Amino acid sequence: MSEMSVMKALNLAMFEEMASDEKVICIGEDLGKQGGCWGTFTGLQDKFGINRVLEFPILEAGYTLFSVGAALGGYRPIVEYMFADFVTLGFEGIVDIAAKIHFNSGGVDSCPVTFVLPQGGGGKSGAHHSQSVEAWFANVPGLKIVAPTTPADIRAYYRAAIRDDDPTLFIYQRATMGLTGEVPDVLDEVPSLAKAGKVVKTGADLTIVAYHRALVNVMAAAAIVEEETGKTIEIIDPRVLIPFDKECVFDSVKKTGRLMVAHEAPERGGFGAQIVSWVVENCMNELEAAPVRVAGVNSIIPFGDLEKYLYPSVEDMKAGILKALI
Amino acid sequence: MNFSNEELLEMYSDIVKSRVLGEKIVEYIYSGKIAGAIHPCLGQEAVSAGILTAFKKSDIKTFGTETHRAQTVMAHRVGWKPFIAELLGRTGGCNDGISGEYHIHDLKNGQLPAAGALGGTWAEISGFAWALKNDGKKRQIGFAPYGDGAISQGATYEAMNIAALFQLPVLFFIENNGIAMSTPVEKQSPLENLADRAAAFNMQGVTVDGDDPVAVAEAVLNGMELAANNEPNVVEVKTMRWEGHYVGDPQKYRDLSYKNDLDSICPVIRFEKRLKALGILDDETIKAVREAQTKEIVDGFDEGLVQNVATKEQVLDYSRVYSNNAGGEL
Ligand SMILES: Cc1ncc(C[n+]2csc(CCOP(=O)(O)OP(=O)(O)O)c2C)c(N)n1
Repeated sequence: MSEMSVMKALNLAMFEEMASDEKVICIGEDLGKQGGCWGTFTGLQDKFGINRVLEFPILEAGYTLFSVGAALGGYRPIVEYMFADFVTLGFEGIVDIAAKIHFNSGGVDSCPVTFVLPQGGGGKSGAHHSQSVEAWFANVPGLKIVAPTTPADIRAYYRAAIRDDDPTLFIYQRATMGLTGEVPDVLDEVPSLAKAGKVVKTGADLTIVAYHRALVNVMAAAAIVEEETGKTIEIIDPRVLIPFDKECVFDSVKKTGRLMVAHEAPERGGFGAQIVSWVVENCMNELEAAPVRVAGVNSIIPFGDLEKYLYPSVEDMKAGILKALI
Repeated sequence: MNFSNEELLEMYSDIVKSRVLGEKIVEYIYSGKIAGAIHPCLGQEAVSAGILTAFKKSDIKTFGTETHRAQTVMAHRVGWKPFIAELLGRTGGCNDGISGEYHIHDLKNGQLPAAGALGGTWAEISGFAWALKNDGKKRQIGFAPYGDGAISQGATYEAMNIAALFQLPVLFFIENNGIAMSTPVEKQSPLENLADRAAAFNMQGVTVDGDDPVAVAEAVLNGMELAANNEPNVVEVKTMRWEGHYVGDPQKYRDLSYKNDLDSICPVIRFEKRLKALGILDDETIKAVREAQTKEIVDGFDEGLVQNVATKEQVLDYSRVYSNNAGGEL
């Protein structure tokens, strides 16, 4: 085990996958001397060369489609967008082309591209640099969405995403890039994207499903509420949103009878609404109260410190938990 | 084209103002008064001074999509105090200190929305210019600046094609500072002069020295005239970025030896020498201009800093998000 940050875990996962499969290539801006926009590609070009770590000009629309072509030509591209917001430029490539390749080829060809999206707030850079994008893609069949939080999970599930044969969005939260945790020196087995739900904390009175910074805030809020009320709370990190580990959540809700979901993306049409729907459809008899959602405000992200009004804080999480427990 | 001594001296004031703004932005970022990663214009002041000169001299009205590093031009459009207050996130800002410098938007003053996501505004401004032309608005044009990096985006080629096809009143302006974040221009384009791209669309493209404010002003004035005649065209100015991509960027990707002798490449000093040789500038005036420009900018910051920051209610105001009540709630 070694202690490392999310940033280092991202780097490690790429080193491991590039070493294990020579068809894995990296595509993005500033991947050369800068080591990627966030430094997560540090050392990769030196080690694997410019033909495997391709530094592109600023042309996300072009390099998204380029990556799909390279995938059809037998490669497994990792494609980075500096901010998840900029994936808007790659929409056609991801949504119209990559997502449909396997289907339209009659199940013959695949499109093993990993689209890497650092998302969310924390940078105080406002409307075009702070959005959470998972729900934009959750409505597009053919795509998978991987969204782990801790360094160990980032390392394991990034590798899983790169190995998966389908086009996969690997979404991580920029605000928690510095989060540190224990990471095994060797990953014995790269996990499957299926059944990825993880009970990070057991409890009897309420189930909370949360990911990214919302998970960090939920953990803090739950500790306070447990202390204050004597109730115990079960927290699930889904780690992968599609394919979603429904059983993990259903089993928990059947035990606790209550559900809260939390994420930073706006509430309306958010992935949390999907989780609530699945639970209501499948656990109606066990539910003792209406599920609660704590999410981003349905508004535009302002610049600077004002962004705090948009994203759910520990206080907001606490209020949500108290509401869910009533 | 000739500039009078008064015009040259005003150009000098503008180049100094741009320098002071850049320095103050760096200072206020380090003291924690400005949030977000702001990209200062240090080293590129002659570009803004040249643009401002052209704007002031011509009767042609421009609408622009200036974005990061063109702070001086944005401030010229929206007003210095409203600009500085926006930079500081204060309620006196041109967008109430809520939208931020990345997303400055003030149509009545000619500032089309600045975009945080690069690449789209050339196409957007083509639509705006089409509207100007279609409505018969004479001597009004779109002015579309971008860096050497942003113009790699596909939409910029589409924009040039649209503008050339419909003969739109647009001046596409490339501020080539030799680098985009960490990527040098040689790694972004096989062309020596990026304005050569105009040829593919049968448009005029010129490249001039961006560290010479007179050359910039002349090229912009010519380009504006052409645009006002419905001849879209491209002007590229070559300059150099002194700072990192953002303030505090350690720039490990770059040979930093240029920093050892900034005076030798300084566009402000170069212009001073030229004006001195012409006999229209002396050390006393240099000092006075610097003091006056510093005062105006520092006053702007001081005034901004005592203003309020928007409240939660102001930020989450329904009517800021939607144009009418038909939506009901956020
Ligand atoms: C679509 C998009 N991709 C990437 C970025 C990140 N980004 C911001 S500024 C910048 C460099 C732009 O270079 P250039 O256009 O040359 O302008 P300069 O910063 O040199 O003034 C990059 C890559 C962005 N804002 N938008």
